[in-house]
Amino acid sequence: MPEIFIDDQRFEFEGNPKVLQFVLDQGLELPFFCYHPSLSIPANCRQCFVEAGTPVFNRETNSYELDENGDRVIRWFPKLMTSCSLEATDGMVIKTHRSSEKVARGQKDTLEFILINHPLDCPICDQAGECPLQIQTYKYGPEGSRFEHKKVHKPKRVQLGPNVVLDAERCINCTRCVRFTDEISKSKQLSIVSRGDKNYPLTAPGTEFDDPYSLNTVDICPVGALTSTDFRFKARVWEMNQTPGIDMTGSKGTNIDLWVRNNLVMRITPRYNPDVNDHWMPDEARKDYRRINENRISRPSIKLDGEQVKTSWNNAMLTFNEETGKVKPSEILVIGSPHASVEDNYVLSKFFNRLGVSDVHFANDIEKGRGDDFLITDDRAPNANGCRFLGFTEHDPAALGKAVSASGVKMVVILGDDLIGRGAFPAEAVQGKFTVFMGTNNCDTSNAANLVVPITCSAEHAASYINEAGRIQRTIPAKETVYTSRRLNLEMSLGRLDHFATKFDNWESDDNKVDCIPAWEFLIRLVQETGGDLTYTSSREIMDEIASAIDTFSGVSFERMDDEYGIPLKKENQPQGKTV
Amino acid sequence: MEKFEFNKAERDHIEKIIARYPDSQSAVMPVLWMAQEKFGHVEPDVQKLVAKTLDLPEAHVYGVASFYTQYYKEKMGKYVLDVCTCLSCQVCGGYDMLHYIEEKLGIKAGETTEDGMFSIQSVECLGACGYAPMMQITNDIYVNHLDKAKVDKVIETLKQGKMPEFEPIPMRVAEKS
Repeated sequence: MPEIFIDDQRFEFEGNPKVLQFVLDQGLELPFFCYHPSLSIPANCRQCFVEAGTPVFNRETNSYELDENGDRVIRWFPKLMTSCSLEATDGMVIKTHRSSEKVARGQKDTLEFILINHPLDCPICDQAGECPLQIQTYKYGPEGSRFEHKKVHKPKRVQLGPNVVLDAERCINCTRCVRFTDEISKSKQLSIVSRGDKNYPLTAPGTEFDDPYSLNTVDICPVGALTSTDFRFKARVWEMNQTPGIDMTGSKGTNIDLWVRNNLVMRITPRYNPDVNDHWMPDEARKDYRRINENRISRPSIKLDGEQVKTSWNNAMLTFNEETGKVKPSEILVIGSPHASVEDNYVLSKFFNRLGVSDVHFANDIEKGRGDDFLITDDRAPNANGCRFLGFTEHDPAALGKAVSASGVKMVVILGDDLIGRGAFPAEAVQGKFTVFMGTNNCDTSNAANLVVPITCSAEHAASYINEAGRIQRTIPAKETVYTSRRLNLEMSLGRLDHFATKFDNWESDDNKVDCIPAWEFLIRLVQETGGDLTYTSSREIMDEIASAIDTFSGVSFERMDDEYGIPLKKENQPQGKTV
Repeated sequence: MEKFEFNKAERDHIEKIIARYPDSQSAVMPVLWMAQEKFGHVEPDVQKLVAKTLDLPEAHVYGVASFYTQYYKEKMGKYVLDVCTCLSCQVCGGYDMLHYIEEKLGIKAGETTEDGMFSIQSVECLGACGYAPMMQITNDIYVNHLDKAKVDKVIETLKQGKMPEFEPIPMRVAEKS
């Protein structure tokens, strides 16, 4: 196998990797700005310099030439090479800043040049704390600048489009954003304009940066030149904790990170998953943090004389059991949700099976023409496949509306899906039927319901969702509810504030916790109330049961989902969707 | 609003230009140049026309046009004085000349006189470092070894509607010792 020597350490490689990517893959560090594994390689920041050489091969003797010590004679490239664009070859010798003074000096001097016109406004810059330029300047940069002249001034606060703001002075012209619009989103809306020290990325005159994926340029910007209009000045990076999650606005199953401070999700960014979304996500999906933070249902409520009043969990459970006792199983219509998790849907179906209701229904949430060939899908729900694989009966929203209106139905149970709001049926359709809504946000359906049970949303529970390709992935709780705690739930991440702030610090707050529990937990409490034997202590346990009970899910577990970036469910095991 | 279009003959010519290169992106500079010769400038609408003609992103054409001071991104005066302020000219008094012209015409670099006669630009190296300080007039004649008297004379000539004459540069012969 071909070999390469990096700082006198021998590595073997396959194929034709570039030196920078190969070094990074070994877990070693090399500074860089313009390189991005998913984009083309322009080698324009010059930060990933290394010394490189190849052994001298003698064709006559068919062997490497050796010096007097018996070591291979190395022919060095005359100048420092950008490792991002340098292809590894057999026997190549690389010296990084760890073993070469020249490379360390080269990196330091390059940084001094990059910083010549860069404003040192880190204290007010959103990128501070997650800024490659800041980090690498600390690690590899000069201690100060020898440049004593006035810095070049460029436009600031340029609203490039609806979601992105440009500060041209901070830009180091790495062209990542330009390459993103050229190569990934293909809108080709950005270009580097002007010349020399005056240049920066901009759209053509009279056009705006309205690319539906524009905010990805903010993520990959290695400085604070491109910032998000929405997130700008909202929170410092080190105040938030970062928790992996799954996007809830489409069936692509885009992997995301939720950034939480004081139990509010401040922003959503994409998380790398080579099999789903690579490094990217659509702008629209980033606004989903509002659904998590705002207008949440907190504490159960009951409709009394046409008005909803808050009530206790005990009362909610008693009412629920009382009402189910009043009707025959055939008079209950149970509606699962493509917006809720596999675990919640499974326990819902199991709960009602015990009562003798054999069928669980759900309405798909498809908006024709919404999707593109990239990450936005026609399907607005993250888990339609979950409902299908659990054997639920799929309806068009209108068809489900008819089923709800049927005169034989006396009780309707809806899991986390605003069916009235999205036009499946009007509020009048459930009049006179006892309607239970287990949901996360106040909506038309919760307003029409007789009993509203607040349940956790994707940011508050560990639960799995199955995307359009049949891949099962799971969320991790990012945000505390009234009943959970970061310090007790070892799965939850702790940010600096969570770690070090005390209740007496004025930047720490216990607010923003919603009084809700996972839907499955509510359902098993109902069973336990009546002396039943349905017990789960965690959604992990539910998934284990699903995996052993249903063929489609065989071999699935939270551990595997975590290790393998989600699991594609076996095609031959996938059932054909049951439709009416 | 003025509408910009290429006629049939021009479009045929553009096809020939494109045929010289592996892709149409390479034709962006000659086509921008053609457009500037025809319309006198490459304002955003002209850039749009070029982008459409070559089937390129508008942002790309804008990026190219904005790189070169020789492409006029807005309507300019009849005579554009491109005063070089790059290193060699700067050392030899390029900025003095620029400021003298600015004062004389009563406008700043990047502006055009009210009568539409003159525009001034401060530009990067024009490759005439040996004759610094110098300027170029409307992407055409170089005026070398500038001093105040020479600037006065050039502007007077231009006001009469004449371009200054081409200045052949004598080869310096090494002095015999």
